[in-house]
Amino acid sequence: MIAAVINTDALVKMAYSSVLAGVAVAVVVSIAILGLTRSSEMRREHRAGAAAAYTAAAAVGLLLAVAIVIYGLILVAHKT
Amino acid sequence: MSADVILVIVIATALVFDFTNGFHDTANVVATAISTRAIAPKPAVAMAAVLNFVGAFISLKVATTIAKGFVDTTAITTTVVFAGLVGAIAWNVITWYFGLPSSSSHALIGGLVGAVIAAQGFAAVNGDGILSNLIVPAVVAPPIAFVVAGIAILIVYRIVGKLRPGPVGRGFRLSQLASSGLLSLSHGTNDAQKTMGVITLALVANGDLSAKGFHVPDWVVIASATAIALGTFVGGWRIIKTLGTRIIKMDVAQGFAAQAAGATVILAASGAGYPLSTTHVISGAIMGSGAAKQVSAVRWGVAGNIVTAWALTLPAAAIMGAAVYAASKLFGNGAIGPLVISLAMLVTLAAVFIRRLQQASPAPVVP
Repeated sequence: MIAAVINTDALVKMAYSSVLAGVAVAVVVSIAILGLTRSSEMRREHRAGAAAAYTAAAAVGLLLAVAIVIYGLILVAHKT
Repeated sequence: MSADVILVIVIATALVFDFTNGFHDTANVVATAISTRAIAPKPAVAMAAVLNFVGAFISLKVATTIAKGFVDTTAITTTVVFAGLVGAIAWNVITWYFGLPSSSSHALIGGLVGAVIAAQGFAAVNGDGILSNLIVPAVVAPPIAFVVAGIAILIVYRIVGKLRPGPVGRGFRLSQLASSGLLSLSHGTNDAQKTMGVITLALVANGDLSAKGFHVPDWVVIASATAIALGTFVGGWRIIKTLGTRIIKMDVAQGFAAQAAGATVILAASGAGYPLSTTHVISGAIMGSGAAKQVSAVRWGVAGNIVTAWALTLPAAAIMGAAVYAASKLFGNGAIGPLVISLAMLVTLAAVFIRRLQQASPAPVVP
C-alpha cells in the first residue's frame, strides 16, 4: 500500500543522480585545485611540459565546475 | 469587518513566520562556509539574505501549490491559516532556542494540518500526500546526503591529500562561495514562496481573490521576499554554531564536501521533481563528511538531538496548530481570538529573544 503512494521512480532517479552529481563535483573541483597547485610547483622547478599539462587539467576542471554551477542555476530557475 | 481584521492578522503572522524562517534557516546555507572561514559571518549572512530575496522572485510555482496535496483546501479558513502559522512559529522558536536545525517547511505544513484537524477532523487530511511528499523525503534525504558527502570527502582526500594545505584551502573556500550562493538562491525559491502561498490562500478564503486562476499578487511577493531576507540578515547564530562546529569539527575540505553534497542532492532532487528539506540535507551531509574521515569525529549525541527534532517537528507543530485553533474558537468566530493570541505570541517572542540575548552573545563562534 505504501509502495503505491510513493513515487519510486523519482526517488530512485534522485538517489543515483545525487551520487553521480556529488562525485562529479568533488572530482572536477579537486582536479582544478590539483592542477593549479601542481602547475605552479612545476613552473618553479622549470618543468614547462608538466606545468602546461597541469594547467590544462586545472582549466578543464574549472570549466566543468562552472558548467555545473550554471546547470544548477538553471535547475533552480525551473524548479517546480 | 471582523473577517478583514482576521485577514490583516493572518498576513502579519505569515510575515512573522517568514522572518523566523529566514533567521532559522540561514544556518543551512552558510554555516559550513563560516566555520571553515570561506567567508566572514556578516558578509555570508548578507549574501544569503540578498540571494534569498532574489530567489523569491525567480519562480512562483511553489507558492501556488502550498497546502495542495496535504489537506482538503476547501477546509481552509483564515482562522485555520492563522492557527497553523502560530503553531509553526512556536516550533521554529523552540528549536531555535535550543539551537536545533529543523525544517520550517515541515513546521508550517504540520501547523496547518493540525489546525485543519481541529476544525474539520481527520477526514480533511490527505495522508497519502503527507506520506509521499513529506515523510518519505524526510527519511530518505539525510542518508543520501550522508553517503554523497562521505564519498565526496574520500575522493577529495585521495586527489588533493598530499598537496600543500595553503593553495588547497583557498581553492575549497572559493568553491564554498559558489555552493553557498546556489543554496541561498534555492532556499529563496522554496521557502519565501510558501509564505506567499499561505497569504494568497488567506486572501482567497476571505474572498479578496478568486480561487479560479490562482495567482500571487505582486505586493505579496515583495512583502514575503523582504521578510525572509530580513530574517536571514538577522541570522540564526545559534543554529549556525550547531551546524558549523557542534556536529563535527570540520576542516576546509570537509566543509566543501558537505556543502557541495548538499547542493547537488537538493538540485538533483529538484531535477527529479522530489521536494527535500534543505535543513535535513545539509545536516546529513555534514555528518557524512565527518563520519567518512573518522566515525568517532561525529558528535552522535548532537546528531541524535537533531534527528529527534526532525521527527517531532510535524506532530509538535500540528498539536500546537490544533491547540491555537481551539484556543481561538474559545473567543467565538470573530477577530477577538486571533487578536488575543497574536498579542500573547508577540509578548512571548519578545520575552524569549530578550532572555536569549541576556544569556549569550549573538556572535557566531568559528573554530
